[in-house]
Amino acid sequence: MSTESESSPDRPLDPAATLDLIAQSQRRARAGTEPDGRLLCLVWGVAWLVGYTALWWSARALGGAPDALAFALFGALLGTAVVITIVHALRRTAGTRGPERRAGARWGTAWPMAFLVFPVVMAGLGRADASGEVVGLVSNALACVIIGVMYLTGGALFDDTGLYVLGVWILLTGGAATLAGMPATYLVMATVGGGGFLAITLVWHVLLVRRRREGGVPS
Amino acid sequence: MTELDTVIHAPARLRVVSTLAALSAGEEITFAKLQKLLDMTAGNLSTHLRKLEDAGYVRQTKEFAGRRPVTYLALTSDGRRAFEDYTTTLQDLLRGAGS
Repeated sequence: MSTESESSPDRPLDPAATLDLIAQSQRRARAGTEPDGRLLCLVWGVAWLVGYTALWWSARALGGAPDALAFALFGALLGTAVVITIVHALRRTAGTRGPERRAGARWGTAWPMAFLVFPVVMAGLGRADASGEVVGLVSNALACVIIGVMYLTGGALFDDTGLYVLGVWILLTGGAATLAGMPATYLVMATVGGGGFLAITLVWHVLLVRRRREGGVPS
Repeated sequence: MTELDTVIHAPARLRVVSTLAALSAGEEITFAKLQKLLDMTAGNLSTHLRKLEDAGYVRQTKEFAGRRPVTYLALTSDGRRAFEDYTTTLQDLLRGAGS
């Protein structure tokens, strides 16, 4: 807790300690006002890894489409990840306003808009007599294209390299998963997609810790 | 010794200014959120904010969210420049001490 007594301007000057105080304050400020990409990446990595593995396991065992239980688990995991993402982002950004927050809010609302169209496209494919295999492959591919492009725009909007790299990775995952065919597509989504999220979380975390050890440059 | 801005140099005000400078230009933060980030009492924070406002470094905007008063805070362009000058001076001093 800060007090008036520590505010004397006559304190002895220690440039290194003062720069450290500035870096600490700014880290705390960013941690309190910006969503933590590592946490969100971790949550989505676990959801994809476990959810798509369940779909692959079920599809392989049944020799066709995954069963309802696997889809229920997959849906519950994605739903949990969505709730955690929204709650975390809202809590972190609460109490701030300005052009960057407005841009972030618009970017945030672009997600449900894109995924609102998603089931309509799938229904259209079904009405056009697309097979279950085609619908399954396209649903994974379309999800990857939406998520990948959203991450690319997020990376550009917030000048966030980690988010941009993630976008490229998810787009590549979508391509690979479609080429893999059924049921291997689910395994690609689990390992390359979910595993990719987790690998990027780890790299992101290591880079951040290393940058902190080297001393953050105040901005 | 190189002159340092005494308004910013006091540790409590340095933490306030550093925190506000971490927000992008044009962004504002509520008094309550800033108080939470800095872990200061409301009275202590108000005192330091008044000194920073008197120096022209901080801008306060008072509004109502429904019936609840909300104070938004941001660094002014003078405040952001003063903070940048302050950190540059510190880095110069550190480089001078190391050479």
